[in-house]
Amino acid sequence: MRRIYESNALDRDDADPFKPNASRDTTPTAARSIPAQKLSAAIIPQRLIRRGVTIEVSTPRSTYTKGQAVPFHVQIRNRLPIPITIETKHPVLWTWSVDGHRDASRLDDPLPARPGQFTFDRGETKRFTRRWTQTFRVSSTTWEEASPGIYTIRAAVAVDDAVLSDSVSVTIE
Amino acid sequence: MALLEVEDLTVRFYTEDGVVKATNNLSYRIEAGEHFGVVGESGAGKSVSSLAIMRLIEDPGVIESGEIRFKGQNLLELSAEEMRTIRGNEIAMIFQDAETALNPAYTVGEQIAEAVRHHMDLDDAAARDRAIEMLDSVGIPDAAERYSDYPHQFSGGMQQRAVIAMALSCDPDLIIADEPTTALDVTIEAQILELLEEVSETFDTAIQLITHDLGVVAEFCDRVMVMYAGHPVEIAAVDDLYYNPQHPYTVGLMSSIPRIGDTRDRLQTIPGRMPDLIENPPGCNFHPRCPYAEDVCARREPPLVNVETGDPADPINSDSQSAACLEHTGDLLEGLDYQVTVRGTDESTGDAASTDGGVSDE
Repeated sequence: MRRIYESNALDRDDADPFKPNASRDTTPTAARSIPAQKLSAAIIPQRLIRRGVTIEVSTPRSTYTKGQAVPFHVQIRNRLPIPITIETKHPVLWTWSVDGHRDASRLDDPLPARPGQFTFDRGETKRFTRRWTQTFRVSSTTWEEASPGIYTIRAAVAVDDAVLSDSVSVTIE
Repeated sequence: MALLEVEDLTVRFYTEDGVVKATNNLSYRIEAGEHFGVVGESGAGKSVSSLAIMRLIEDPGVIESGEIRFKGQNLLELSAEEMRTIRGNEIAMIFQDAETALNPAYTVGEQIAEAVRHHMDLDDAAARDRAIEMLDSVGIPDAAERYSDYPHQFSGGMQQRAVIAMALSCDPDLIIADEPTTALDVTIEAQILELLEEVSETFDTAIQLITHDLGVVAEFCDRVMVMYAGHPVEIAAVDDLYYNPQHPYTVGLMSSIPRIGDTRDRLQTIPGRMPDLIENPPGCNFHPRCPYAEDVCARREPPLVNVETGDPADPINSDSQSAACLEHTGDLLEGLDYQVTVRGTDESTGDAASTDGGVSDE
């Protein structure tokens, strides 16, 4: 089948930017890019990748009245100028806890045993928001309210490295 | 043994933002030839539950636990090859958006014939005849001519009919219809539902109809499951659900239906929106929007119970109406305070389908 650019149906002109070029023996202007994400995962050790990542937890206020939900922000940033992939222990890539209770639950719910991957573009910052409702899950169907006091909200990337965790304390009055 | 038994189905999506709890311990059954409705707002987990039956949940989604028994066989234990012999053959699915479901690069007829060739072991000519017959049976005029048309040459209603023809082509025992009429206007919607009804009666095909339109459910279904935030909140026979709703969410859905002759200035809506499935509220998922919520609703998750006895519900072996509200476990102090008004009941004929009703808070 003869294609349209093999016919003389097109008016070609190198000088006119709105017409196809007269010569067709062009060389490609760009080569296929390297999959930098995969390349960095293959050549940079996980230990170094983790050192290039920061995590920060913050709350809008430090004191909340009893019963008032506590919003908190988690910010995870790749400081490296290359895309990276953090190998995590499970597919829940990051977790949060209140006084050591994951998801403010006193139940011991195991997380899936398969690994996960947390990917970042170069210099990328990921932001997440959660709310702690000032309750602790104490059984599969019941919750109890937190009593007044100081609580530590911690967020951590799911790796065996304490560097990738941060915490903030809030007071409930 | 029912045709389909779904028991404690739990589906999770592991996203970067967190774990999306799409369905939680979902249990229900569908008998042969039955029309089973699944109702709820967008994001309630209706489509995920049906995709799980077809084993079409894609990464990062995972069926964490539960069983899906079809004719007694657990679909979750089948190999991919075995599942392919069931999918499209014994269980077929009508997808929500027909235009997206059809491949634009193949003719409509070929897409139907492909399923026939694969599952029914017919040669090309026989598969073509079968595809034309199916197109004709769903009301496509000049089916033999339209066999060679591409999807873009069909109107929206015809595309939906073609998708239905594809689902029917191998005489399935169960059709999962995922909002088959959402993208269509009401006249086409009525035709499509009539067609499904006719097919179901002719071939004794069970239909799981996923919709957010309670009017469609009233017309079409035998039993209904209302879902909210990935949980079943009420399962009942369609008459029980309409005349005696037992969950505030069902009541809210029904009172938000516009009715001819309704003198209210504004429709009563359910305030707020469905919770983020990554971050479900503690206790009853519906309590932040529930007009009858009490303190206990924020601390205790209501189990799905038989509304008559208060015992844990058994949606697989029992037909009794069940709901997940603390009212039915005796934990609410004030109780549920609403009234169901049925207007236009013709007592002489007892024609329940012709009644018009409403639900109001007292």
